[in-house]
Amino acid sequence: MTIVKESAPHLRRKASVTRMMVDVLIALAPTLIFSFVVYPIKTLITYVISLAIMVGAEFVYVGLRGIMPKDGQKHSFKERFAYAYKGKYNQNNILTPAISAIIFTLIMPAGAPIYAIIVGAFVGIVFGKLVFGGLGSNIFNPAAVGMIFAKICFGSQYVTYVPTWYYQKTDIVASATPLGYINNGAYASTGNYGLFDLFFGRIPGALGEVYKITIIIGLIYLLVRRSADFRIVVSYLGTFSILMLVAGLSVMGLGTGINPFMFLLYNLLSGGVLFGATFMLTDPVTSPINAPSRWIYGMVAAVATVFIRLFAALPEGVGFSILIANMVACVLDHYEWSSSRYTWKKFLTMGLLIVIPALVTFLAIFYGGTFNG
Amino acid sequence: MIAKTRHIKDTKKLIGSLPAVRYVDPKYIYLATTNARCSSFELYIKEGDHVNCCQLIGMRHGPFFDQPIHATCSGTFVGYEKHYHRNGKLIDFIKIENDFKDTFDKSCFKRSPEEIAKLSKDEITEIVKNCALVGLGGSSFPTYVKFQTDKKIDVILINAIECEPYITADHRLMLEFPNRVIDGIKYAMQAFDCKKAYICIKSKYKDIKTVYKQLLKEYPDSGIELCCVGNYYPQGWEVEMIRKATGIKLNPGELPSNRGIIDFNVSTIVGLYKAIKYNMPVVKRFVTVTGDGINFPKNFRVRVGTSIKDLIPLCEGYKNPDKEKVFILGGPMMGASVPSDDCIITKTVTSIIIFDKMEFKEEPCVRCGSCVLSCPVHLEPVQIMNAVKVADKERIKKLNPLKCIECGLCAYSCTSKIQVTDYIRKAKIFAKL
Repeated sequence: MTIVKESAPHLRRKASVTRMMVDVLIALAPTLIFSFVVYPIKTLITYVISLAIMVGAEFVYVGLRGIMPKDGQKHSFKERFAYAYKGKYNQNNILTPAISAIIFTLIMPAGAPIYAIIVGAFVGIVFGKLVFGGLGSNIFNPAAVGMIFAKICFGSQYVTYVPTWYYQKTDIVASATPLGYINNGAYASTGNYGLFDLFFGRIPGALGEVYKITIIIGLIYLLVRRSADFRIVVSYLGTFSILMLVAGLSVMGLGTGINPFMFLLYNLLSGGVLFGATFMLTDPVTSPINAPSRWIYGMVAAVATVFIRLFAALPEGVGFSILIANMVACVLDHYEWSSSRYTWKKFLTMGLLIVIPALVTFLAIFYGGTFNG
Repeated sequence: MIAKTRHIKDTKKLIGSLPAVRYVDPKYIYLATTNARCSSFELYIKEGDHVNCCQLIGMRHGPFFDQPIHATCSGTFVGYEKHYHRNGKLIDFIKIENDFKDTFDKSCFKRSPEEIAKLSKDEITEIVKNCALVGLGGSSFPTYVKFQTDKKIDVILINAIECEPYITADHRLMLEFPNRVIDGIKYAMQAFDCKKAYICIKSKYKDIKTVYKQLLKEYPDSGIELCCVGNYYPQGWEVEMIRKATGIKLNPGELPSNRGIIDFNVSTIVGLYKAIKYNMPVVKRFVTVTGDGINFPKNFRVRVGTSIKDLIPLCEGYKNPDKEKVFILGGPMMGASVPSDDCIITKTVTSIIIFDKMEFKEEPCVRCGSCVLSCPVHLEPVQIMNAVKVADKERIKKLNPLKCIECGLCAYSCTSKIQVTDYIRKAKIFAKL
C-alpha cells in the first residue's frame, strides 16, 4: 500500500462540467425534436452542417494548439497525433460545440440559404469561441455571433419558408413575422396571430425558438437541475416584462385601445426572448460570476432587447442584446468593483436600470410621433 | 450545478453512535519535540531516566510563547525517534517506554470544590499555562493567552459543532463525559466572572440534545444553555458560530473578546476541567479513525503520543490495500495529509481519515460561479485564481485573499474539479509580498 500526499480539501462535490453540458442537451432536446417534426429536412440540413463545422473546427483547433515543437527529430503522424490529442481532447470538446450547433440551428431562420448557414456556423465557432481560447475563455455566445453574422451578411437573401401543414392560416404565409408588425409601428395590431399560435409556434420565424411550449419545459428542467442560474432568467424576464408593460400602457394611453397585458404576453411569446433567456444568456461562460452582477447582467440584456425591439431598425433584438450583455459581463467582472456582496451602489444601479429605460420608453412612445401606430 | 454548497455528505451519523474504544496503554509513547508554533526545545531528563505520568520533562521554545512538555505515561525515556508530525513534517519525537504502572507525578493533586471556588482569574491562567493547555479543536493556540484578556466577558461559547464531515471525536466526548464538560464550563465562567454560557451544537444531533437537556436540569441557575445552530459547513468557524449563536457580526480580524465573547472548543473545556480539578495536562483524548480506506471505522480514547500504526490493526486494517491511500490528520476539508502512516497522535489531532486516492480530472473553468456563491467570507476564488495564473500582484491584493479561512468549499464545490484552494494559498503568499 502506498500513501500519497495531496492538499486539502480531500473531498469533491458530485458535479461536473459534463453533467451541466448534458443537462443543457436534454433541455434542448424537446425543442429540437419539435423542430424536426415541423421542418424535417430544413432542420436536418442546418443541424448536420453546423454540427460538422463546429465539432470539426474544435477538433482542428485542438490539433493546431498541440503542434509539436521542432526538435530536429522525425516524428510519425501517429506520434504527432497522440501528442496533440491525448489528454487534451475529451467529451467536453465534442459536447460544447454540439450544444452551440443545436442552439445555432434553432435560432437560424427557416428561410436561410445553405451558404448563410455554413458561413454563420464557421464564424460563430471560430470568431465567437476558438480565437479566445476555446471552452471557458470565450466572451461571446458562439451561436449568437454566428446567427448575427449570417443575418447581417445574407439577411436580404433569406426567403420565407413555411411548412403549410402546421399552419391553419395559409393566407398569412407571405406576410411578415409577428414582430415585424410591432417594429413597423403597428402596436394596435398583433397581426393575424393569436397567443395560442405564438405559444405553439404556428408562426413563421426561426427553426426552433418559436416553440415556446418546449422551451418552457427545457427552462424548468434547467432550473430544477440548477444547471442554469435562476438569477439571470428572473432578472431578464422580469425587467423585460416591466418595460414592456410600461410600453403597453403608453400605447394604451395613445388611445389605441390595446390591452397592455396582452401586449406584454405577445411580446414575451414572440421572437427569441424565452429561448435567449433559457439557453443563451444563462451560458455560464459568458455571464458574470457573482450573484449581484448576474442580476445586473440580465437587466442590461432586457433593456437592450426592449430598445432594439421598439425603437431600432431590426424587428428582433435578442441576439444583439445577448452580445451586448456579454460585453457588459466582462466589465461587471472587473476586479476593481467585482464583489459577491450586495451593496447600495449595486441596488442603485439595478433601480436605475429599470427606471431610466422605463421613462425613455414612455416618453418615446407617448411623445415620439414617429412611433405612433 | 450552479448553486451555493454548504452541506457535505458524510458518514457521521453511523460512526457517531459507536462508543469509543479505550486504547490507553500503548507500549511506547512519543512526544513531539517541536511543533508549528515552537521550533526549538530543551529537555530536563536524560536517556534512561524514569518518568512519571504528567511529569514536566521539557520545554518547547517559540517566538511568542513556550510550551511545557509533559510525559503522558509513566515509564522510561529511551531516546529519540523520527516520525511524522501532524503538520506533515518529519521531526524528532521523545520515545518513552510504558511501564503500565501509571504512577502519577506529585505535581498532580486533587483540588477540593472549596479550593476551586477560591481561585482567582490570574491563578487559573497560571494553572492553564503550566498545564500547557492549547486549543484542542486543531488550532493549538495556547489557551492561557485567551485567559489573559482584560475585557469584560459577557458570554462564553462552547464550540461542540464539529462541522467538518467524518469527525465524531467531540460528539463522543460530549456524550461520554457530559459532567466534565459542564464542570469545565463552570470553571471557565468562574474565571471570567460571566453569567452566561452557550454550548453550541448542530441542531441535528438529537442524542446530545437529549443528554444535555436532562443534565442541565440539575444546574438550574448555572446560566449554561444549549444552543442549537445550523447544520452546515463551516458552522464551526468562530465568526459564523458567534453570528448564529448571539447574532453579533464580527468584523474581519476582530477578536471576539472585543464584543464580550470568548469561545472554547469542547475538548479544551474538558482539558480545563482536568487542569483545574487535578492539575493535570491533557493525557488522553478522543480520536476518530474513519474513511473509506479502512475496514471498521471507530472512535478511540487514546493516550496523547500513541502511534497511529497501533490503531490500524484495531480497525481491522486497510480496505483494498493495493489502492493508493490518502492519510489525513484532521478533517477532510481542512486537514493536512501526511506522506506516511507512521505518525503520532498529538494533543490536537482530532481524527485520522484514510481515503482511497481519488483522481479528479481537472477541466477548464466554465465560470459557473459555484465557488463565489459558496465562499463563506464573500471572496471570489475564481477571480483570485485567474489573477494568480498571470501573477498580477496588484489584482490579487485588491481581491483580498488574506480574508480566506481555507475552508476548502471553493475546491469542493468546483464543477470543473479545479483545486481552487491551492491557488488561494498561493495568492496569500503573493498578497503578503
